[in-house]
Amino acid sequence: MRALRLALAAAGAGLGVLAYQVQIDNLGSLTSPTRALAIVAVAWAFLGAGLIAWARRPENRLGPLLTAAGFALLARQLRYSHDPIVFTVFFALGELSYALAAHSVLAYPSGHVRGRAEWLLVRVGYASMLLFPLAILLVYDGSERLRYMDLRPHESVLVVWEDMGLALALQKAFVFFVWGVLAILFIALVLRRLARATPRARRMLAPLLLAAVVFALRAVYEGIFIVVDRPAAIVDDVLFWWQIAGFIALPIALVAGMLRARLARANVGELVLELERTPPEGMRDALARALGDPGLEVGFWLPERREYVDGRGRLLVLPSEDGERAVTRLDHAGEPIAAIVHDASLVDEPELLQASGAAARLALENARLHADMLAQLAEVQESRVRIVQAADEERRRIERDLHDGAQQRLVALALQLRSGQRQLGEVADPEVSRLLAEAVDELQVAVEELRELARGVHPAILTEDGLAAALESLTSRAPIPVALDVSEGRLPAQVEATAYFVACEALANVVKHANASRATVSARREDGVLVIEVEDDGVGGAHAENGSGLRGLADRVEALGGRLVVESPTGGGTHVVGEIPCAS
Amino acid sequence: MRVVIAEDSVLLREGLARLLAEAGVEVAAQVGDADALHHAVHRERPDVVVVDVRMPPTQTDEGARAAREIRAQHPEVAILVLSQVVEAKHALELFSERPEGFGYLLKDRVLEVDDFLESVRRVGNGGTAMDPEVVAQLFGRRRAPDPLEELTPRERDVLGLMAEGFSNAGICKKLFLSPKTVETHVHSIFGKLGLPPAPDDHRRVLAVLAFLRQS
Repeated sequence: MRALRLALAAAGAGLGVLAYQVQIDNLGSLTSPTRALAIVAVAWAFLGAGLIAWARRPENRLGPLLTAAGFALLARQLRYSHDPIVFTVFFALGELSYALAAHSVLAYPSGHVRGRAEWLLVRVGYASMLLFPLAILLVYDGSERLRYMDLRPHESVLVVWEDMGLALALQKAFVFFVWGVLAILFIALVLRRLARATPRARRMLAPLLLAAVVFALRAVYEGIFIVVDRPAAIVDDVLFWWQIAGFIALPIALVAGMLRARLARANVGELVLELERTPPEGMRDALARALGDPGLEVGFWLPERREYVDGRGRLLVLPSEDGERAVTRLDHAGEPIAAIVHDASLVDEPELLQASGAAARLALENARLHADMLAQLAEVQESRVRIVQAADEERRRIERDLHDGAQQRLVALALQLRSGQRQLGEVADPEVSRLLAEAVDELQVAVEELRELARGVHPAILTEDGLAAALESLTSRAPIPVALDVSEGRLPAQVEATAYFVACEALANVVKHANASRATVSARREDGVLVIEVEDDGVGGAHAENGSGLRGLADRVEALGGRLVVESPTGGGTHVVGEIPCAS
Repeated sequence: MRVVIAEDSVLLREGLARLLAEAGVEVAAQVGDADALHHAVHRERPDVVVVDVRMPPTQTDEGARAAREIRAQHPEVAILVLSQVVEAKHALELFSERPEGFGYLLKDRVLEVDDFLESVRRVGNGGTAMDPEVVAQLFGRRRAPDPLEELTPRERDVLGLMAEGFSNAGICKKLFLSPKTVETHVHSIFGKLGLPPAPDDHRRVLAVLAFLRQS
C-alpha cells in the first residue's frame, strides 16, 4: 500500500506539471502562471491531504476519496488541450472532481456517507457531473468555443448530432442544475448536520462549515459565468482567489479533523498521568475530560451480580444506542471490566476510545473493585438490618415462649405444691409443710426472675402498644424519678425496638453507675429521624467503648443507618443521644 | 359465690378450680378460650369471671378483650383478669371509669392463696383488686411538682393499699394499724392531694386512681 501511495504521489506531481503546462499552452490570456499554479496547488492540497489521511488511517475511505478528488482536479485541466481525444476524455470526466470533493465532505469524518438524503445527493451529483458533459460532447460541433473554456473552439470525438445552440443550452442547464440546485442542497444538508450534532460532535464538524462556504463561493462564481462570459476583472479576481484559498484549506481541515483523534493521544498520555492521582470516584470526570464528552458515564462490571454499577456502587442500566448516546464495552481477557456510555460522535473515533480505555484499564479495574466494594458494603448494610430484624423477631419469640411456657408451668407447679401444702394442713409434719412453703417461695422468685428476664429480652408492651407505652412502663419502674417526653405514633418495629433498648441500657447505666438523683428520657421525630435521648445529673465519665452494653447498641443503631453519641464529662452527668432514621 | 375460670393452661386451670372449690367457692365452668368463655357466662351467669389475658388463638390479649365485652354485656358480672405481666397502661384501660367489680392481678398472686381468695371475694362483692405492681408503677410516674413527695412513708403505704382496692378494715389488717389511725392517714392523704372526701370505698378507689393516672 505504501508503494502504491508513493506511486500515486509521484503520478500526482507529474500530472500537476502537465496540468500547469496545458493551462499555459491553451488558455492564453484567460489565465496566468500564478492562476495556473494556484489551480494545481488546490489539486495538490487534495492529493497530499488525501494521501496523508490514507497513510494514517488506512481503514478510513476519506483518504482515497480525497486523493481521487485531487487527481480529478488535475485531470480536469487537461480538457483545455486541443487534442480532440484528450479534450473529449477529460471534458467528460473532469467535472467529477467536484462530485468527489462533495462526497469527501459528506463522508467526513468516518469515510461513510450517513443519511438517505446525503446518499441521494452524492449519487445524483456523480450522475450529473458525468452525464451533462457527455451530452454536451454528443452535440458540440466545434463551430464556436464553449463558455469560459478557451479562446478557441475544441473538437469532440463523440459528436453525433451537431447543434451548437443545444450544446450551449445544455451547458447553461448543467451550471444551473449543479451549482444552482445541487450545491444549495449540499449546503443545506451540511448545515442541517451541524445543527443536529451534539455539542461535542459540533466541534469536530467545524470543517463542514468551511465546505459550505467554499461550495457557496464556487456556486456564485459559476453563476456569474452563466450570465456574463467575461466578468469584471476585479470580481473575477476576488472570487477566484477566495475560492482557491477555500479549496486549499478544505482538504487540510478535513484531514486535520479526522486525525484529531490521533492528535488527542496527547490527551490520552495526560490521562494516564492523571489517573495515577485520581481517586476511583474521579474516573468518570477524568475520562470525560480526555474524551471531550461532559455527559460521559462509566459503568463497572460486577461479575457476581452480572450487572454494571456506577462509581458509587449504584446500578447503572446501559442505555440503548439512539444516535445521541453510544456504549463502548471494555474487556480484559474476555471478561468485561467496564462500559463507557458516551456521545455517539466518539464512535467515529474508535482509536481514541480504545486508547483511552487501554490507558484507563488499570485505573478502571481499580475503580471497578472500588465500586464492587461499595456495592458489597450496601449489601452488608442491608444484611445488618436483616440481622437486627431477625434478632428482634427471635427476642419476641423467646419472650412469648418464656411467658406461655416456662413461666406458666412454674406458676402451675407452685400452685399444685401450695394446694398440697394446704391439704396436708396441720396434720402434716411441720418440717414437710415448711419445705413445701419454701419450694413455693423459691418458685415464686423464679417466676419473678423469669418475668424480668422476659421483659429484658423484649417487653410485650413494646410489640403491642409501641415505643411510647413501653418507655412509659420503663421509666415508671425506675428507682429514681425519670421525666419522660415522648411523641405518640407507631414506627417500624426495628426502629422502636432499637430506641427502646437504647433508653433501657442508658437508664440501667444511670441507675447502676451514675449516682444520679433524676433523669430525663425523650423520644421525638425530626425530619425522618427518631432522636432518643437519655440525660442524667450523675457523676458522668461513661464511655460507649469500655465494655458496656452501649457499644453493642451503637452497632445496632449504626446497622439501621443511625448513630449513637455518648457525652459524659466527669462530674457533668451523662447524655446519650441515638439518632435512628425512620422514614415512614 | 359462683365463678367461671378461663385459662388455656389445663394444669393451672385445674389448680385454680381446686383452690377455689376448697375455699367453698362454686366453680360453675372451666374454659380454655374466649369463645367458650362467652358461652359459659351466658349460660351460667356467674358472680365472678377469672380470666387469663393471653389465650388462643393469637396469645396476645384475647382475655382482655373478652373481659371488656363481658363488662359491656353483663355489667353485673365481676371480672378478675390475671396476667403474666401487668402494665399500668393496660390496667387503666381495663378499669376505665368503672373500678367496681373489677380486678387485675399478676398470675402468681394466686400462690398467696388467702390474699387471692380475698381479692376474688372483694371483686365479687363489687370491690376492686389492683395489683401492687401496677400501683407501684403509677407511683413511679413523674409529676412536676409531685404532690406524692409531700406524703409520709406511712401515708404512701396507705394510699397504695387504697389504690389496690382495700377498705379501711382491709388496710388495718394489712398494716396492723388501728381503725382510728388509718382514718387519720386517709384524711391527711386526701387533704394533701386535694381530693374531695369519698363517701364509700368504690368512689375512693376511683378518686385515687384518677389522681394517680394523671401524669
